[in-house]
Amino acid sequence: MRLFENITLAFQNIKANPLRSFLILSGVAVGIGAVLHVVVLGELTQKRINERLEQLGSDVLRIRPGYSWRHGVRTEARAVSLKWAEAKALAQQSQAIARTVPVYSGSGDISFLDKNWSTQVTGTTPDYESVNNESLVEGRFFNPTELSQRARVCVLGATVYQKLFKNESPIGKTVMIKSKPFRVIGLLAAKGESWSNPDDQVFIPLTTAQERLFGVDHLSSILAQMQSAEDYDESLFDIETLLRQSHRLPPKAENDFRVHRQDFFLAAIQETNKELAQFIIVIALVSLVVGGIGIANVMLISVTERTREIGIRRAIGAKKHHILIQFLTESMILGLLGGILGVGGGVVFNHFYIGEETLLPLVWVSYSFIICAGIGVLAGIYPAIRAANRDVIDALRYE
Amino acid sequence: MDGHLNPLIQMKAVTKTYQTGGAAVQALSEINLQVQKNEYVAIMGPSGSGKSTLMNIIGCLDTPSTGHYFLGEKDVQSLSDNQLSEIRNQEIGFVFQSFNLLPRVSALKNVELPLTYLGIAQPERLRRAAEALDSVGLSDRKQHRPNALSGGQRQRIAIARALVTQPALILADEPTGNLDSKTGEEIMALIQKLHEQGNTVIIVTHEQYIAEQAARVIRLLDGQIESDVSTKARGNRPNH
Repeated sequence: MRLFENITLAFQNIKANPLRSFLILSGVAVGIGAVLHVVVLGELTQKRINERLEQLGSDVLRIRPGYSWRHGVRTEARAVSLKWAEAKALAQQSQAIARTVPVYSGSGDISFLDKNWSTQVTGTTPDYESVNNESLVEGRFFNPTELSQRARVCVLGATVYQKLFKNESPIGKTVMIKSKPFRVIGLLAAKGESWSNPDDQVFIPLTTAQERLFGVDHLSSILAQMQSAEDYDESLFDIETLLRQSHRLPPKAENDFRVHRQDFFLAAIQETNKELAQFIIVIALVSLVVGGIGIANVMLISVTERTREIGIRRAIGAKKHHILIQFLTESMILGLLGGILGVGGGVVFNHFYIGEETLLPLVWVSYSFIICAGIGVLAGIYPAIRAANRDVIDALRYE
Repeated sequence: MDGHLNPLIQMKAVTKTYQTGGAAVQALSEINLQVQKNEYVAIMGPSGSGKSTLMNIIGCLDTPSTGHYFLGEKDVQSLSDNQLSEIRNQEIGFVFQSFNLLPRVSALKNVELPLTYLGIAQPERLRRAAEALDSVGLSDRKQHRPNALSGGQRQRIAIARALVTQPALILADEPTGNLDSKTGEEIMALIQKLHEQGNTVIIVTHEQYIAEQAARVIRLLDGQIESDVSTKARGNRPNH
């Protein structure tokens, strides 16, 4: 009895009970589809995080306002102000910090002709472009002169551009930000979403943002670029010393600001994603086990239903291992069909859920088939042994 | 029936005991039997006489509890499960009362099946299976599934399957039991033809007119051979 004949036989038997076979292999399909989805999603997120890491570099620290304590009560984070002067002082006084970029972000509407979009308006200095590794598709970033003149110029993020302009060039056009006219001088390249969308922003000089748009004198954050990533401890020390002094914090008080390393933040996202993926994989594995139990169940029913057939085959010369292999092949094929259905379903689901960026991880597709075939074989072992060990005479008499 | 050398079947003091519900039931006791090559033997007996048990042992579906059963040169009792499968495959052709065909495959595939377990390549298998179907007059029904055929045609498929490995012995268990009398006669004529072609045939039946077609009739009662009569002797007096 050759493998090909066993496979043909397996398909005949699966075809004989199409609905039952489909319902059972769908259990395996759901499991393997979920595994594949997690893998694709994980790889995609990893790819985006890697891209962001490359853009950010590991040498940039972000200083944000923390909590302050007044009479033993913790206040809002926003209550603490970071100042541009502090950013300047840091760059001048710390040996470890190469330069600092002050940032003030607020939300605001931006419109062009009849199109309107609510976005994040970010005021900063020209250094932002190089510290944050921004690249421009068109035009330029604003210059020191425009910064000092509080110029009404802006650089659009990719999402804002898409919402307002579609395909025409935005350079030289006038847009309204918070009802004030700004000339578009640059368009940034898309960075892609991870958890937040960095492309949904419009950049203007910090002076313009603070004085003309928002009427504030504090910052949302300060980006501090270190001389090198190894200067982290020294940089942190300098930042703490300077800001604690500037904020006049008593020695035992907690910092009223927080310092994040950008890559640490992404690493945290990465860690969370991993944990999420592990969780989904556990669920998928449970589903696969349930699918396997389903296959075992169907195979047991099949062995009982086909007792007579087993008797006939044994009577005319089938050895025990022929019967064993026949039933194992059948359960393996049930598993494999579940795999094909799951991979197919996974690809279609990913296409609609993730979109065009969907990857087909061929290694995982082949793993999927191996896993499913393995589940089929495992699930089939007990029923197949039972089939092979049926007493020939009893099996022939079975009604 | 003695005096022949190298009998095809030789049973020496064969007994078979079953355990049912803690009690031992003796289905066969002290069976001594020889069947020569090219004999046509009918085994008769009422229900519970042990004829099915005897047939199971002759067909190597079961083994004796005590005694010895030789099929050709082989002592069946000493054979492994796999060796018994090989004997059933190569030496014995079964024809069952209820046909015992696989319902989901064609007549040709059913007949081909024993050759599959013999390890013969498909083209040769198909050729031999087609030949066997031709010999039972079913050359135009090869691709039909059993349930699309009449009882007589199904039994012919079963006979073709029994013949396809050219076994030493054809063992038929009530081959006309599920057929009407006319079809039954046709099947018996076919079995007779097989015997005339040189096959050894053992037929188990409880019907006198079927048994009468055999050259030798063995009657069982309570697990023992009650009589063993050849047709020649039957013309005179039964050999009790």
